[in-house]
Amino acid sequence: MYGKKASELVKEFASSEPGQLSAFNNDLFSQVLEECNGHLLHLQSLLRKMQEDGPDNQTSRNADHFGALMHHLSIVRNKRCLMAYVYNRAEVIQHLGWTIERVLPEEIEEKLSNPEKDYFKNHSATLQSYMSELDLDLAVDMVPPKDPYIKVRVLEEIGNVVLSDQFANLARHAILFLRRTDAEHYISQGLMEELSS
Amino acid sequence: MTNYFDIDDILAEDELVPATFREATNGVGLFDSTDDTNKVEPGSKVELPFWLAQELHLRQAVTVNVPPCFNKRTREEIDADAAHVDLRNRCPFFYELGYKIAPLVGDKTIGRVLLIAFRTRYKEVLIKAHTAAFEATAKFLSLLTEEEVKLYKAAQSSAIAFKKWRKGGPRFQKASVLGRKRKPIQ
Repeated sequence: MYGKKASELVKEFASSEPGQLSAFNNDLFSQVLEECNGHLLHLQSLLRKMQEDGPDNQTSRNADHFGALMHHLSIVRNKRCLMAYVYNRAEVIQHLGWTIERVLPEEIEEKLSNPEKDYFKNHSATLQSYMSELDLDLAVDMVPPKDPYIKVRVLEEIGNVVLSDQFANLARHAILFLRRTDAEHYISQGLMEELSS
Repeated sequence: MTNYFDIDDILAEDELVPATFREATNGVGLFDSTDDTNKVEPGSKVELPFWLAQELHLRQAVTVNVPPCFNKRTREEIDADAAHVDLRNRCPFFYELGYKIAPLVGDKTIGRVLLIAFRTRYKEVLIKAHTAAFEATAKFLSLLTEEEVKLYKAAQSSAIAFKKWRKGGPRFQKASVLGRKRKPIQ
């Protein structure tokens, strides 16, 4: 049946959890493109046949006309599926730019196709430059804090770092009070956890 | 109008609907045809995906018939007890397909069926989402259409968010994309 492969591609995206990406399915993607080329060949041969049959036959409702129509519709459908696949993945990638800054962890990066990697890089660079122009970090928590400091536990060895108000040794399992703004991106990267008091 | 990139809309249009060809069509290898010309004779009954059937119907090349998920039996079951009909098995995009197909087949009763089904089931979905224990839901979820599953999840997550808000607790969490595969700790 026409358009089967394309809808498989869309289904694959739909079955992955929202906000998560599965590996870019290059194989299936190029199979759909091939299918489109096949449709185009059929379409062209039918159009040629219609032209040969004479001008009076071109607009009438004959069998060739409907054959060509079906191929045309299949191409349009395949295009929609491919576009939706790429577009929706791009949305997820854009969202990644807000939650994890700049560097993608390996296990996510290997799922992206090359253009998608570039897209992520450029998008997060744009975000960064916009934020530095504004001199404002737009990715911080939207709810105003009750206390500027929070208690955190370090989950993975980070080492000595310079924070906005102190030098800190972020050794594994250390429990300390940090400025919320300092701690936030460590938490979102999974290097710390917040301890509720 | 739905979004061009809408995943659910695309999948809903992939549902098969029965159709009858009114015109001969050349050069389509859709079906395991008997000769090489790949010709479809007028009068052949086939199942076409909705996206194809709709366009061909508008150009009067095929006639779309009412799909089996809106047959008499299903309607009777919905009238009897809509909340426990296995709609997912019949068509995972029951409402979307019904909405799209009704103007094509000119069946005015489909709208009524959809409304009754949705109204009864909506209540049931919300009640279950707020009360049922997690283990008990699997069987219930297998009856729901895609849209109802989304509703169910939305209701459940809002219930969870409410509980979390009442208890208080850490605001910050690890970005959920990072959660799945942890690198092995050496």
